[in-house]
Amino acid sequence: MSHFLDRLNFLKKVTDTFADGHGIVTNEDRGWEDAYRARWQHDKIVRSTHGVNCTGSCSWKIYVKNGLVTWETQQTDYPRTRDELPNHEPRGCPRGASYSWYLYSANRVKYPMIRARLLKLWLAALAEHPDPVDAWASIVENPAKAIEYKSKRGLGGFVRANWDEVNQLIAAANVYTAKQYGPDRIYGFSPIPAMSMVSYAAGSRYLSLIGGACGSFYDWYCDLPPASPMVWGEQTDVPESADWYNSTFLMLWGSNVPQTRTPDAHFMTEVRYKGTKTVVVCPDYSEASKFADLWLHPKQGTDAAVAMAMGHVILREFYLDGQSDYFTDYVRTKTDFPCLVLLDRRADGSYVNGRFLRASDLSDSAGQANNPDWKTLAFDEKSGHLIVPNGSIGFRWGEKDGMVGKWNLEPKEALSNAETQLRLSVNDIRDEVVAVAFPYFGSTRHPHFACTSHSEIQLRNVPARKIKRADGSEVLVATVYDLTLAQYGLDRGLGGGNVAKTYDDDAPYTPAWQEKITGVPRAQIVTVARQFAENADKTHGKSMVIIGAAMNHWYHMDMNYRGVINLLMMCGCIGQSGGGWSHYVGQEKLRPQTGWTALAFALDWHRPPRHMNSTSFWYIHSSQWRHEKLAMSEILSPLADPQQWQGTQIDYNVRSVRMGWLPSAPQLDRNPLTIAKAAAAAGQEPASYVVENLKSGQLGFAFEDPDNPVNFPRNLFVWRSNLLGSSGKGHEYFLKYLLGTTHGVQGKDLGEEGGEKPLEVQWRDAAHGKLDLLVTLDFRMSTTCLYSDIVLPTATWYEKNDLNTSDMHPFIHPLTAAVDPAWEARTDWDIFKGIAKAFSETCPGHLGVEKDIVTVPTLHDTPTELAQPLAVKDWKKGECELIPGKTAPSLVVVERDYPNTYRKFTALGPLMDQLGNGGKGIGWNTEAEVAALARLNYTVAEVGVSQGRPRIETDIDAAEVILMLAPETNGHVAVKSWAALSKITGRDHTHLAIPKEHEKIRFRDIVAQPRKIISSPTWSGLEDEKVSYNAGYTNVHELIPWRTLTGRQQFYQDHPWMLGFGEAMCAYRPPVDMKTVEPIIGRKPNGNREIVLNFITPHQKWGIHSTYTDNLLMLTLSRGGPIIWLSEVDAKKAGIEDNDWIEAYNLNGAIAARAVVSQRVPEGMSMMYHAQEKIVNTPGSEITGTRGGIHNSVTRIVLKPTHMIGGYAQLSYGFNYYGTVGSNRDEFIIVRKMVKIDWLDDETPAEIATGEAH
Amino acid sequence: MKTLKVLSALLCYPQADILAALGEMTDALDHERLLPRQEHRTLRAFMNRLAQANLMTLQERYVATFDQGRALSLHLFEHVHGQSRDRGQAMVDLLETYRRHGFDLDARELPDYIPLFLEYLAQRPVDEALELLADAMPVIALIGARLAERNSDYCVVFDALATLSGQPADIKDIRHQAATEGPDQTVVNMDQIWEEEAVTFLASQHACATGSRGTSEAHPIRWATRPDAI
Repeated sequence: MSHFLDRLNFLKKVTDTFADGHGIVTNEDRGWEDAYRARWQHDKIVRSTHGVNCTGSCSWKIYVKNGLVTWETQQTDYPRTRDELPNHEPRGCPRGASYSWYLYSANRVKYPMIRARLLKLWLAALAEHPDPVDAWASIVENPAKAIEYKSKRGLGGFVRANWDEVNQLIAAANVYTAKQYGPDRIYGFSPIPAMSMVSYAAGSRYLSLIGGACGSFYDWYCDLPPASPMVWGEQTDVPESADWYNSTFLMLWGSNVPQTRTPDAHFMTEVRYKGTKTVVVCPDYSEASKFADLWLHPKQGTDAAVAMAMGHVILREFYLDGQSDYFTDYVRTKTDFPCLVLLDRRADGSYVNGRFLRASDLSDSAGQANNPDWKTLAFDEKSGHLIVPNGSIGFRWGEKDGMVGKWNLEPKEALSNAETQLRLSVNDIRDEVVAVAFPYFGSTRHPHFACTSHSEIQLRNVPARKIKRADGSEVLVATVYDLTLAQYGLDRGLGGGNVAKTYDDDAPYTPAWQEKITGVPRAQIVTVARQFAENADKTHGKSMVIIGAAMNHWYHMDMNYRGVINLLMMCGCIGQSGGGWSHYVGQEKLRPQTGWTALAFALDWHRPPRHMNSTSFWYIHSSQWRHEKLAMSEILSPLADPQQWQGTQIDYNVRSVRMGWLPSAPQLDRNPLTIAKAAAAAGQEPASYVVENLKSGQLGFAFEDPDNPVNFPRNLFVWRSNLLGSSGKGHEYFLKYLLGTTHGVQGKDLGEEGGEKPLEVQWRDAAHGKLDLLVTLDFRMSTTCLYSDIVLPTATWYEKNDLNTSDMHPFIHPLTAAVDPAWEARTDWDIFKGIAKAFSETCPGHLGVEKDIVTVPTLHDTPTELAQPLAVKDWKKGECELIPGKTAPSLVVVERDYPNTYRKFTALGPLMDQLGNGGKGIGWNTEAEVAALARLNYTVAEVGVSQGRPRIETDIDAAEVILMLAPETNGHVAVKSWAALSKITGRDHTHLAIPKEHEKIRFRDIVAQPRKIISSPTWSGLEDEKVSYNAGYTNVHELIPWRTLTGRQQFYQDHPWMLGFGEAMCAYRPPVDMKTVEPIIGRKPNGNREIVLNFITPHQKWGIHSTYTDNLLMLTLSRGGPIIWLSEVDAKKAGIEDNDWIEAYNLNGAIAARAVVSQRVPEGMSMMYHAQEKIVNTPGSEITGTRGGIHNSVTRIVLKPTHMIGGYAQLSYGFNYYGTVGSNRDEFIIVRKMVKIDWLDDETPAEIATGEAH
Repeated sequence: MKTLKVLSALLCYPQADILAALGEMTDALDHERLLPRQEHRTLRAFMNRLAQANLMTLQERYVATFDQGRALSLHLFEHVHGQSRDRGQAMVDLLETYRRHGFDLDARELPDYIPLFLEYLAQRPVDEALELLADAMPVIALIGARLAERNSDYCVVFDALATLSGQPADIKDIRHQAATEGPDQTVVNMDQIWEEEAVTFLASQHACATGSRGTSEAHPIRWATRPDAI
């Protein structure tokens, strides 16, 4: 008989002696320690933070006793920044503070979990097939077995597993997928690296080594404002929050600072005591509205109309009737206002604005031998000549000898170096005045938004000047400034209609005009615009707009944003201390970025990595395109010929991929590992083999046939994210098509309905359950975990070592392991290291050294951003040759040594010494840093590919790699990077970093105290003792060009697709009609009145940013479950009282929630905070019959073609920089009171029922 | 008290070695005869069902019952302190109690895990063990009552514990609460439960201070502080 009962499972006896009797345990009185205990209550204090995707980035003290966290307080040791500024600390908010006990919460994931049905299949398969890869194949290739576990996703049934077991299964799935379908069928999604960059890098490094694709997040979250890349060629760069304190006129536009930027809000409240005026623009009476001197509340979604009318006032008073020397000089030297635009003649004799005039349009290319297609022109007042000024993007790439160093904003003519003063308007030198046709969208009918009756084509007079082209023909040109005045509807005495003399004229875009659309009194528009500009004029740009993602989540977000950005540019506020554009969403600012990319995407071993824009990925793979209701003809410019603009959203996306604009995942419709072999067999180079087969049609792109099983994304890793509980727009479509489980989709697809089917995409019967394996790493049992096949328990923010930065403050500080990960949890770094090890061990017999063909889109900040300068040409339609990197994606062969994946994961590879490091278009040698890392981390002793390389065994090793390689944390690198940039600009910028050249920040330094980072050319502001960080500061003050076509901030967008969709200039565009209400309203009555409301999803007041809310304190302070806010008026209409259970639904799905009836909300609008998950207190829906959904159950992805543009200067792809975005605010819902509240708890818990998602 | 050790094992995540030891456990129960006849029989029947069941089905049931959500959490302080900052100090004190009596934690588990707590009790003299068990009974009885409401097999283990230490005085209220609280009482009745607890940061610090003197007190473990919470 065993002695099971005598054995201790959890405890061990304290022994009297140890170390073979050399040590002895004594038990003398330790009462003397009590004084110490009573005083401090802890053994140690550890510095960490809450690594949510909030911009707070607040340093906290974690008190630890006996290996357990006992309590936490805010850190108060941030270094001081500048004189006269309030301190940054104490940072932190009550929501973050409520996190602590999640550490030990019942909701924590404690062990690796796997769905029992899958485990049974797996164990049975392993018994039959000794090789785990064969075992995996036997499950996923058997439809009955595959359905058996896929259809149970979200329905509970988990069991605990051990790490070796799950690692083996994951490795087998990855190996099989890579071998059978291709490594690009393995996808990883993790957001916002800045919140815990080592944890992010763990997964992305593994995926990049094996050739999997990493999905973007910033664009997918719709936090990326595409307006920023359009205008500045910059993903997002913003002032630190301390700079609010330097502002003298502060606007909060759709940003709820006190609620969502709590630790920084004090800078906003404090500056009011200096006399700064605060204006809030927000449709609801938000927390921010309470701080306003003036609160404007336009109808939600119409902000662009407000901004256009304000621009109208500023142009009138500070450009036409009045003058500001400061503004005039600023727009002349820092914006594209003086740049010349071609006016193309239309059939009816009027004109339309076209593309920028280029040097190549003129004879001899105006003397420009290099990139004349990419150099813009202007008239010079001093010489009277038409000249090529310095700084356009043509000067950035490929210049030689004397022409090197002209990429700068010095007011000079490029060839002669003569001083210039560019002419803002051609009016004084005009040859004629012509009628130019402008698209007007404000008359578009929408069931819930007001429109005006103005014609959709607005002819307005514009001064024009004749120019002789290279071929001898004459063309008319006007400046961007001239076109802008006309677009804003200003009468400047040129005659013609559709322009306004006074603010009361009923013409687009006067203050009177906007009243009908926005509901804001015209006098308020005039007052705010006038004061905003007056302040900027007097202070040289200290007017600031803090802008929230709220306005960015509309389909036409670019108009909202460009409208506001135009105001800031007109008033010279960008790049000026205390002024500018402050868009804070997500923790997008990964300060030591270039140090991190090397680690995160394994650039030290292989280049390039596979990157994918997630919005397109989810749109296509969750089959939302099969339900598309928004036709592209609805958003086309009235000036465009509809015959030339055919196709649906997915068609535009496919064309974009084909032309090398956007990336794709999977990439080609064949396994990329087999392509190189086939090429070799055919005796061809892989790239030319691919080109030939693409042209002949033997090979295609995966997106052309997404429902073909060979093109499914087979394996998905989700970590640091709640994809299915929070960000997954079109949640129910994810469940139906990607996961293949119970769902709440109410609509029919285009096949069933006979709607407009795509032209470029193979239509097949719908595929369900495309994913073979969904693995989620989390510390809490999130909605995503409930739907996963395998859940891996990760370390929390107090259990791992990592780095954390934010755009709100200039410091870098760590997450530090206060205690070991509880239960079986491991850090993300250790988890992916373990998977990499299992993967390497599983490879033999399946994967060896393989050649992988990687398709790479034309990329921003690389020479390929100069791809198609004058017109869009599609090789597939025979309009041009297929030239990789020019008219199609580049084709690169990457050699992957699969069995050595683990060795590569754990050591810094040789490409860092061989190719150097860099980012944003500049590169530098990094041998010294690699040598230093070898001394710091030691080198690998074991024989193999990594022998002698610096080790990256632990999360701290990984953090040191980032800190050593990044200019922001290593002064030597900073100086090198500024020197590299100086070569291109011809101006010496090294003085910005030389004072900190010998500063090197190590992990232990930031554990001791947060450190301020070092200025680097990765960012456009300075970390300085004199000025607060402000975006665009180095452009304005160091004359470094913006990374745009003109090198300047661009009011004007001249790409053919921008012209086609009517967005060359900012305009007001009403929300689009999603058509998800009409077909279902009144069809499923429950006896209660149904009303239709706009559906807005702002960030939480009672939640940990957008991450989660199922924490007792947060739920207590709120309503304890899902809530939807609505106005008193609407509630009355529908007979709803506060706290009633209501249902919100449309064709996309349904939500069950409690009503919050509040005066805060305007009529016609509803609000549901982010990330209220269905795991907490959610009853069944009367519509779907399953558990009420999350906020994204009623939304769906819609794509915009202008976000797919590529190969065109600033409009080129970059990971999280450009691409389609997941907008969601144009959606409407039907709301009604529920009759039957069914908790769906009939199933007996004894029989495996709790914890399911439906 | 091997009976407590048996009950500890039965509340652990089902594993092959536990099932293999069911015979040994039965013998121990029979030998000690601490449980009344009725409970003894019910527990034996439960163990028989375990012996015959499929291991993975048992595991799935265990996870669904105890690993998801707060209501049936097997961590004592989840029910006492929830997500308040008192929890850390309470665990530290409990750990200290184990240490004072010669035991260190040797598993990746928190000190207030009921099977762990029972294992410790099983090592103590009967009187002391039962006294400590009685202290924890309000929580244990509530979990037992909830399991009974959900028709879970596991309630027999909790019934057995109750017969050893005696039901808490307010067992009727506890049962009534379990029967009427709905899906997850912590969420549904949140306002009442948290009425007094909401923002008592000063009180919490006071609680910690008291705890620190615990080394010299007889019972440093602070059980229920909010009668209506459990």
